[in-house]
Amino acid sequence: MWQKSRPYILILPSLIIIVTIFFGGLTLGLLQSLGLMGIGGDSHLTMNAYRQLILSKDFINSLALTLKVALVSSVLSGVLAIILVRVLFILGENRKTAIIRKVFQVPMLVPHVTAAYIIMLLFMKSGWISSIAYSIGITKSIEAFPSVVNDPNSLGIIITYIWKETPFIMLMVFPIISRIQDSWLEIAQVFGARRQEFFREVILPLILPTWISSVLIVFAFTFSDFEVPYLLGITYPKFISVYSYNMYYNGQLSERPLALAANFILAIITAMLGIAAYKLIKIRDFKEVRW
Amino acid sequence: MVKLTMKTHSKVIYYITIGVLLVAFLLPFIPLFINSFAYDFRWPSVITKNATVRALKYVFYENSSTYESIFNTIIIAISVVVIDILLATPAAFSLVRYEFKGKVIIKGLLFAPIIIPSFTAIMGMYVVFLKLGLTESIYGVILAHILPTLPYMIMALMVSYSTVDTALEEQAAVLGAGPISRFIYIILPHILPGMVAGASFTFLISISQYFLTFLVGGGKVSTIAIVMFPFISGGDNAIGSVYGVLFSALAIINLVLIDFILKKYYKKRKFKII
Repeated sequence: MWQKSRPYILILPSLIIIVTIFFGGLTLGLLQSLGLMGIGGDSHLTMNAYRQLILSKDFINSLALTLKVALVSSVLSGVLAIILVRVLFILGENRKTAIIRKVFQVPMLVPHVTAAYIIMLLFMKSGWISSIAYSIGITKSIEAFPSVVNDPNSLGIIITYIWKETPFIMLMVFPIISRIQDSWLEIAQVFGARRQEFFREVILPLILPTWISSVLIVFAFTFSDFEVPYLLGITYPKFISVYSYNMYYNGQLSERPLALAANFILAIITAMLGIAAYKLIKIRDFKEVRW
Repeated sequence: MVKLTMKTHSKVIYYITIGVLLVAFLLPFIPLFINSFAYDFRWPSVITKNATVRALKYVFYENSSTYESIFNTIIIAISVVVIDILLATPAAFSLVRYEFKGKVIIKGLLFAPIIIPSFTAIMGMYVVFLKLGLTESIYGVILAHILPTLPYMIMALMVSYSTVDTALEEQAAVLGAGPISRFIYIILPHILPGMVAGASFTFLISISQYFLTFLVGGGKVSTIAIVMFPFISGGDNAIGSVYGVLFSALAIINLVLIDFILKKYYKKRKFKII
């Protein structure tokens, strides 16, 4: 009996915490969004909140904006990470590239709140780059500098994510490259392949599944992040997380089901992305067995 | 000879590319540092002429909530690390060593908070937290921080467990070592580096939380992120920058410390083996 139940008993403490607080919270959120457990005691099952959200222009605009920014930032981070990984591979492994690799990880250590602030100081109209542009005569006034922070195109948010997430994707991809045996490269070089060709023909296909899954993780993260859009976003349209937060805390009690419905939609979308990323990692593991 | 110059020539281009990108990645730190000690630093000045300790003085001397917030941040992070280790050590062991029914589903449940944002759960849970008196309380904040960190701790420990040679344990068992001494003398030394790495990551995630802390703590539980927020959202740039530097420094000190501990640990182990 003990032998059979031991695996479950060892997992139980972690599972209880995650299931009660995390999944319990998600379930309670769902129930409240469906009009059950209403604070006024008036509870009956209704899809009203979801219907209202889908018909609401504000929500659809928020959803579109969030999807767009998450897509652009995750893809650009992914492309930049591949470029950096490729250049570092072509330069080969030596003391210099080892230091460069370490320095590129620094933005990962900076908390998101600080990262957003750093980008704000750099790019706002009265920021450092604007000052430089004025000093060398590129812009004639403070107003001539383009809006990057709190702008409708969300440029500041995208730059913050690229700055923070590119190192993350690089970190995910590096271990796979370092596992590729040197002998493979030597054989390729015997046949006349340069490091550039070796990267394109051998390394790129091997890192592709990991690359896609890390881009998906970054997408899910940027899609649901709060701090960065809260600091660098505009008042309309808002990011979904900010939209839901405002509805819950600044709105009326009757708007709370709407906020929780928005949350639930967010949770479902990220969960699907997570499953996709997991499936891709599975494919990679399967391929690795045959290395 | 021609081929050789071509090769170095192309390498130079790659070095230039990486150099430019490196500068682009480090550039954002410059205004943060200038802002934190510059006197009357305004558009369009590129560098400062006079330095001042006004912002430093405000943050570390005049504003008494700074030390409280540093203390809270560290207490919360350390509590989360300790709880995570206690929860994850048996869980990761079970996930690596045993095959059992429902393993895939349990893994999926445990790792879900990595991808589904924890605030969606905490907002749903808010009513219950309110009833239990966990809102505006440091205990509630600690509980909330466990969600986004526990999966990473389990992951880090799973990697460590998978490298432990089971033959060693069997030998110890044959020699009469019970499960507890087998764990302390054989498994623990092996998983310690992974535990330290997981702890470092947990610490980093916990101190970085603004939203979760604010949701549960309601601004009453002051951490560095909470205290700095008013200054960076349209407040005093100099003070915001000092907090920014302080906040990043805490994260970097954590990592350097962990790196140091791990290196030392591995060195010691090598001696033992020889």
